[in-house]
Amino acid sequence: MTCQRCEEQATVHLTETVDGRRREVHLCADCARKAGVLPPESAAAAPGLDAVVQGLIVAHVGELVGELAGLTCPDCGLKFMEYRAGGRLGCPNDYQVFARGLLPLVQRAHGATRHVGKAARVRPAAADRLRLRSRLRLAVAREDYEEAARLRDSLRLKDADA
Amino acid sequence: MNLEDLTRSSGEWLRGTGPESDIVMCSRIRLARNLADFPFTNRASRGEKSEIESTVKQAVERAGLDLTFFDVNSMNALDRQFLVERQLISRELASGEGPRGVVIGPQENMAVMVNEEDHLRIQVMHSGLSLHDVWESINRLDDRLEDQLAFAYSPQLGYLTACPTNVGTGIRVGVMLHLPALVQTKQIDKVFRALQKINLAVRGLYGEGTQASGDFYQISNQQTLGKSELELIRILTDVVPQVIQYERTARTALMNERRQHLHDQVSRAYGVLKTAHTISSEETMLLLSSVRMGINLGLIDDLEIATVNELFIQTQPAYLQKLQGTELGVEERNVARASYLRSRLSNANGRHPAESESD
Repeated sequence: MTCQRCEEQATVHLTETVDGRRREVHLCADCARKAGVLPPESAAAAPGLDAVVQGLIVAHVGELVGELAGLTCPDCGLKFMEYRAGGRLGCPNDYQVFARGLLPLVQRAHGATRHVGKAARVRPAAADRLRLRSRLRLAVAREDYEEAARLRDSLRLKDADA
Repeated sequence: MNLEDLTRSSGEWLRGTGPESDIVMCSRIRLARNLADFPFTNRASRGEKSEIESTVKQAVERAGLDLTFFDVNSMNALDRQFLVERQLISRELASGEGPRGVVIGPQENMAVMVNEEDHLRIQVMHSGLSLHDVWESINRLDDRLEDQLAFAYSPQLGYLTACPTNVGTGIRVGVMLHLPALVQTKQIDKVFRALQKINLAVRGLYGEGTQASGDFYQISNQQTLGKSELELIRILTDVVPQVIQYERTARTALMNERRQHLHDQVSRAYGVLKTAHTISSEETMLLLSSVRMGINLGLIDDLEIATVNELFIQTQPAYLQKLQGTELGVEERNVARASYLRSRLSNANGRHPAESESD
């Protein structure tokens, strides 16, 4: 079979359904690349599976996934892709940080994205303490014990308030 | 209260009282809650988990709740299994790691697991079909804990949980049903499919991923967001009576069409349990299920339903080993189980040995 755009041998065969009508596309590698169906030559030259998959995801699902994949929660350090692999979130703040990725999943699981029912009391200081705790963890990790001691003190103060 | 005290009593939820208790073993609600200022359990360091644990213990104390803390982390495997058998902790908590525990209320109606998938898993269980009582009780407990603790919550998504499948109300409303006639008449799969279509989950006696045993099935909600606690409870209180009705119809059909066969099956089951000298856990569950149905149908009249309910739990491996005070291999357990069954079933009404002594 020859390419529909030039006389080369077609090596890329696509079937797409648009408005219920099936359409077949047959292209050679060069034309496919120009049409954006194949990743550019540089990527194709060393076609690591990751790159191919990543390219396909970006081409078909859009930038959102690529952008989401790299998203990291500043409080617990969890990446959105880690959540997708493990199924568990890392901290309450993830719901806000990953909102764009999570809400469609929540919608699919529950058929809703808005809470109805018992409401918890509002405790604005709690989010501050979560942040202090994550800074404390980072301070301990880089062995900044002075900062860690300071953070521990302010946590203790907040605990006394709460 | 300590673990040894637990071996001498049994949970209120096994009492066999309350509405529809011939078919409904118990009603249970659990709430998933997390502290707003800590990472979720799976992401928390050892130090943070132990802080979470002491925060919850302190809250229970300050709230003046009559609950006792058990440190699951320092427990041996047998004691953990013992708590799983009694439905006081999950398999996940038993096999977890790091600081974790459970606070247990009198009569084992209440339990709060600490550092399971969520920081707190609050549970209340009552015998019979009594979801509204259970809700009132757990809602009050939740309020009193919240007086002391800041729960992770957002106005849009409700209570925030480690897994988004629990977000919102964080509620799991469950009813444990004994459905031997639907199993025998092979209608049970049809019932399951109908329940799954309306988004209800069906599980065995020991929850997620366990095979149904003793013909016990737990029906529970899966949706936790977008409907209020009372709406979710209503789904169960609407559906469960229909399942009960199917089971009753199947029992009546068995009684009308195969009465002698059924009477024979029930009597043989009772006979084996009363006289066997070695018996496996699976066979025990199967036979106890027949005996339980036999009592409800009036085919056995010298045994209390509460005894049979207890025996489902007290013939499990860890309970038997606690009773013997030593670890036992499978063969030894089968002998101990048979001996325990004989002793319980030879007493008039099969009363618990410890209870008869104190009478």
